[in-house]
Formats: sequence, structure tokens, C-alpha cells
Amino acid sequence: MTATAHKFFSPARIGAIASNTLLELVRLKVFYFLLIFALIMIGSSAFMVRFTFAEQFQVLKDVSLGAMSIFTWLLSVLATAMLLPKDIEDRTLYTILAKPVPRLEYLLGKLIGVLLLLLVSTLVMSAMFAIALYLRQQTVIAETMRTTPPEQVAEAIRNIKASTFTINLVPGVITIYLKAALFASLTLFISTYASSWIFTILISVAVYIIGHLQSTARDYWLASGDAGALTKIFLAIVSLIFPDLQLFNLIDDIVAGNAIAMAMFLKTCGLGVLYACIYLLVAYFVFANKEL
Amino acid sequence: MAEHAISIRNLTKVFPIPFRRERVVAVRDLSLDVEPGQVYGLLGPNGSGKSTTMKIVLGLVPPTAGSTQIFGRDSSFVESREEVGFLPENPYFYKFLTGEETLRFFGKLCGLRGAKLRERTNELLALVRLENARDRRLGGYSKGMLQRIGLAQALIQNPRLLVLDEPTAGVDPAGSREIRDLILDFKKRGITVLLCSHLLGQVQEICDRIGILHQGVLVREGRLEELISIENQTELILENSTPELLRQIEADIAKSGARIVEMRKPQTTLERFFLEVTSDKK
Amino acid sequence: MRTLAVIAILLIFGAAKLRFEQRLTEEHRAAYFHGAKLNLDLRQQVGQLGFIAALSGFRALVADVLWIQAHSAWERTEWGRMALLFNTVTALQPRNVMFWDVAGWHMAWNASVAAREDPKQPREALRIKAQREYFQLGRDFYERGIANNPDKYVLHDRLALLLRDKLDDHCGAAKEYDLAAQFKDAPEYEKRFAAYELSYCEGHERDAYERLLALYKIGEHEWLPTLLKRLDYLQQKLNVPPEQRVYIPPEKSP
Repeated sequence: MTATAHKFFSPARIGAIASNTLLELVRLKVFYFLLIFALIMIGSSAFMVRFTFAEQFQVLKDVSLGAMSIFTWLLSVLATAMLLPKDIEDRTLYTILAKPVPRLEYLLGKLIGVLLLLLVSTLVMSAMFAIALYLRQQTVIAETMRTTPPEQVAEAIRNIKASTFTINLVPGVITIYLKAALFASLTLFISTYASSWIFTILISVAVYIIGHLQSTARDYWLASGDAGALTKIFLAIVSLIFPDLQLFNLIDDIVAGNAIAMAMFLKTCGLGVLYACIYLLVAYFVFANKEL
Repeated sequence: MAEHAISIRNLTKVFPIPFRRERVVAVRDLSLDVEPGQVYGLLGPNGSGKSTTMKIVLGLVPPTAGSTQIFGRDSSFVESREEVGFLPENPYFYKFLTGEETLRFFGKLCGLRGAKLRERTNELLALVRLENARDRRLGGYSKGMLQRIGLAQALIQNPRLLVLDEPTAGVDPAGSREIRDLILDFKKRGITVLLCSHLLGQVQEICDRIGILHQGVLVREGRLEELISIENQTELILENSTPELLRQIEADIAKSGARIVEMRKPQTTLERFFLEVTSDKK
Repeated sequence: MRTLAVIAILLIFGAAKLRFEQRLTEEHRAAYFHGAKLNLDLRQQVGQLGFIAALSGFRALVADVLWIQAHSAWERTEWGRMALLFNTVTALQPRNVMFWDVAGWHMAWNASVAAREDPKQPREALRIKAQREYFQLGRDFYERGIANNPDKYVLHDRLALLLRDKLDDHCGAAKEYDLAAQFKDAPEYEKRFAAYELSYCEGHERDAYERLLALYKIGEHEWLPTLLKRLDYLQQKLNVPPEQRVYIPPEKSP
């Protein structure tokens, strides 16, 4: 009389939990922050009127992408930090796990729900950014056409277009998303341990700061011969346990004009995905035998 | 021999207290069986280990020693939960989901999809009489409605076993009656029910077997009638008797070694009286 | 117990990824990423909050804010403060050519003029000295910019201009124009300017002549006034035999 035979690994179950998580986050009206993002972008443009067009584009890009970076990271940490504690406190976790749902699928479903939220946010912000940049470009082009002698106009317009959109912005945005995805997985892992969501958020912030210093610590540890033993141990721990977040900070240099080769980009992405998977695995390891 | 619906063998659960030497023994060497088709009442004061036992049976908590099985499958396997529906105490579901969305969500977790899921959802909403509230978010449900949607989700995959934790706690008499009628209906359909409750009067009405836990130990277990019948007394309820007949019976009893403990008019229960008075069918 | 296992897993994974991260970082650096110098000097210049922001991936924003401040300093002609801010900005964003470019320009063209005509400095010798110092500051920005951006032509072009107009170093200018011309995306005129500057460089007249001749022979669209003038001058200076001289059309009257 049972409905279906039990499947060992069911994308449908994961999908149900993922879409449920996404629905919950969306119904929290979390997307209102996008309005703030829009305001920040518009504000930055208005501020820069007296500068050259190259400077204007640069500031618009830096502000928008910086805001995108901080918002996706914040969203990933805050949205994930609440997931498990809420389910445990409300006891909805019992009802779910009393169904034939393996704990790994539950975690995976929750994580994918957050990743989808981040994806939608990133896409919307990117679209808003692209439109703002395009509108500014058109304004500058119109201005240029008015003030430049005719034989130089084509060249001038070509210069303007070249300094607004570059294809390298796309991998730049993808690395922003990847950093947030990594943090979603990391926060999920921390929340399997933590008893309160405040603790989870604080630890995530600490990892954020230390992660940005990891490359410096690593260089120092691998290179220096005469540091004290205690220092070396400390540096070793930082280098081994914390992720190197500088590897995902490519957007600054991309806006400055750096190009990014496909092979290097794929390696960076691969590393990000690997981190997310490892954190998920450790989260499952802790969660699998957690007393509920 | 058919397999037991629930089989608990030498179950022990010990909780260590962090930072202290002592431990709490929640369940101590518990063994019991629940046969298919039975309604089994697991009773005990707060802290007696009922909840812990239930959680172990449902695989939510691992045992320290011993084992539990559902229809022959060990509780630690995820598959064992295919045949179980669980209604937790104070069920909280996702408050932001509507009644219908809740059933669909849990149905998907059990592997239901498409038309079948739709049918089953409609069926259950009708069964627990929540069709009018199907599009309302659970945040706006009353306690009774939450219990009913809870029952519905427990039944979503047509389980052979239902585990109910305080199913009627905090529910008004009418709702409580409905839930009890539903449980009796399940029993008729052959569904096994494991029930935990403090409302002993209600338990008495619907359970076949009971087990009483006290400080983690099973102190009494058995068929309800056998346990609570007062051995040396007989209850005799007469209808349309005459005063002469009653005098005759009293005389016969006085001649034998028996004694009349009490002779009075039987009473209906306050509950039935209340429901009659407050029902809409006036 | 479980905690120890988790730490062990993280350490093992850490060891495995360490090499990979190191190599990937080197690959990034080779592609000119992460070149910013985030050291204690920077901490002093931008303050605690700015430093953490710069560290956390908001380098560009911090640089932009300082850049805007430099702009305000320019409006108040605070040349010293501008130089300081330019140093910080370029430390934060070494791959942004515009920062180096504009910094060098402000120093070598604007600050230097202000120093030369400083009403508060009565002694001319000291004014000239200050002016030369600003030239050097400008040059320094260009050179450091080139060191950080060896894959771009722009700063070579700017440095050449500075050498030509401010330091009267035509040989140096020719060298820089040559370096600029080697880049695929460099404009056409870099080659020409290199040849012009070479023509002013003592001892390289023959070389310059050959280059200008080659350009001349490409076609009429290369017969720009300066090219023709220098070619003419060199033909005379080198005493090129009349039958080998090329036709120099007369200067068009304005």
C-alpha cells in the first residue's frame, strides 16, 4: 500500500526541500534589499558628474560590483545561518526527517535553496547594473557627439564603448557568486555545530576576514625560515584550515582592465566548487549523528 | 508469524550531561512489541522516556544500546520510515505554507508526484475536513486545524503505522472527538497506531494495549481490559427492569457470598452531554 | 570526538589544496591579478576601516574614494596632498593605468607649473628646483606604472611626452616611443614620433633618417608636415647626395 519504492538518492526529494527553502526565503521579502542596491547605484552616478567619463564608468562599476559583492555575501550568510536553527527550534525538522528523507538530502536541499536565491539575486543585480551602465554610456555618447569634431567622433565612441562593457565582467561576476556560494556552504557547516544563529554569523564573519589574509599567511609560512615555532604553527593552521578568499577577488583588477584566461577561470571556479562540497560534506558528517 | 509493526528490544538511551560526570538514563532496557492493526498507548509522566522512545523508533535519535524495528526494518535505515506517519506534539509546520502546499511538500518527500499527489492531497483534505482552509497559510490555523493538517500529512503516503504524540492535547471537545473517531476508523482499516497521551480518559476509550513508562522503565504492559478491570467485580447494566426484579437480584446476591458495591443510574459522560448540547445538528 | 574528526578532515583537505592554491595564486599573479601592495604603510594611509575594506575585496572602492579626494585636493591646489593620495591610490590599484597616467600628468604638468610660479617663493633657483622635483615625481609615477603594467602601451607614450616636453630628453623619448610602438594595440603615430625624437637625438641622425625615409615611402598619407620638415632637415644635415633625396613638397601656407 505504500506509494512508491524507496529511492536511494532522489532528486525529487531534494528538489522539494530546495524549492521550499527558496519559497521561505522569498516570502521573507528578502528581495527588498535590491531596492537599496538600485539606490546605491543611482546615487553613485549622480555624485560623479564633474569627472571624466572614464572616471564615471569606473566609479559606477566599482560601486555596483562592490555592492553586489557585499550583498551576495551577506545574503548567503544570513539566509543560511537561520535555516537549521529555525527548523530545529520549530521542530519542523522532526516532521521532515520522520519521512524517508536521508539527512544528506535534507542538507543538500537546504543548500541548493539558498544557492538558487543567490543566483536570482545576482542575476537581477547584474541586469540592473548592466542597464545603469548602458544608460550612462548612452548619455556620455550623446554628450561626446555634441562636443567632438566629426572626424574624431567614431574613434571617440569606440573608446567609450570599449571602456564600459568588457566581456571579462562576466567571469568577474561569476567569482562574486562563487564566493557567496562557498560561504553558504561554510555557514551551513558552522550552523550544524552552533547552538545559536548569532554565533554562526560571527564565525562566518571571522572566516571572511581571516580568509582574506590567508594568502599572506600562506606566503609567509611557506617562505620564511626564521619565524618562531609558535608563529609557524599559527600560520600553518590559518593556511590549512581557512579558504584563500583572495583567489575570488578578481573583480577589482578586471574592472581595471585585466583579462582572465578560460583555463585559469575554470580552475578558480573548480576550487570554489570544491570548497563548497567539502564544507557540505563536513556539515553532513556532523549532522548525520546529531541528537535532535 | 507476521512481523511486528514495532519491535523494541532491550532499548537503552543514555544522555551525557556536558561538563558533568552524571548522565541521564532516559530509557532503560525497554522491550515491547506492537502488533499490526493494534492501537497501542504509551503512557507515562513527563520525563518518563516516552518521547525519547518514539524518536528512537522513528530514527531521529540513535539508541545507546538495543534496537528498534518498524515492520522488520531497523529504525536506523531511512527506508524504515516509508511505512510510518508521524504526528509530533505541537506540530509546527512551515507557517508560510498553505494547507495544500504543506501536504504537497510532504507528499513529495515521500515520493508522490503529479496526478497521484494531487488526488491524495484532495482526499486527505476532505478526510480531515480542511478543504475550506486549503489556501490559507498555516500561520492562520487554529490548534485543532494544525492537528488535523498534521494528521493529514502523517497519512500522505498511506502508511501502515501511525505514531501520534499527544494528538488531542489542547484541542476542543468537538475536535478531540473527531480525531478519536478518525483513529478508530484507522484501526478498522488495519492501520497500526502508536499513541502517547496524558489524557487517560481518551486513551482508555481507544487503545487495545497500553504500556506505562516510569523513569525510563516499562513498569506495566498488557491488554487494557485485563489491566484495568477490577478482578473481583462485575458490572451489570440493565434496561427496562422492574423494582421487583431488582429486589429479587438483591436478595440473591445477599444469599451468595457477593456484595453489592454500588447500584445507581449509569451516567452519560460529560463529554457526550457537552457535544450533544453544542452540536450544530439542532 | 566528532570535533576532532572534523578538524582532521579540514586539515587533510587543507594540505591537499595548499599546493593547488599556491600555484593558482602564482598563475593569477602572472596574469597581473593581486598586485596591490596591502602593507602597513597602506594601513597608515587609509586608516583601519579602509584597510579592512581594501583587504576584503573593496580595494577598488577605497581607491575610488581616495581618487575623489585627490580631485578635491586639486581644486584646492594642495599638490603635496595630491601626491600622497596618488601614491596610495596606485598602491591599491596598480593595474589601473588611468591612475598612473593622471597622477604623472598632475605632477609633471600642473604641480610643476605651480611650483615654478609659486608667489610664496622669492628665489627663482629654488622655484626651478621645486619644478624639477615635480618633473621627477611625474616621471616616477610613469615608470612605476610601466613596471606594474608591462603589457600596456599607454604609459610609455606618456613618459615619452614628459621626456620630450619637460626634460628635453629626445633620446629617452625616442626609446619610449619605440617601446610603445611594439604593442599591437598602439596607435600608428608612436612609430612616427619615435622617428621624430630620434632625429633630435645627437648621434642617431642616420638611423632617424632611415626610419623617416621608410615611413615616407609608405605613401602620401604619411607625408605629415613634421615628418617632411625633419626629413628635409636630416637630408641636409647628413649631406645626402641630391639624386638620393626625396621630394619634399613646399610647406602649405596656412
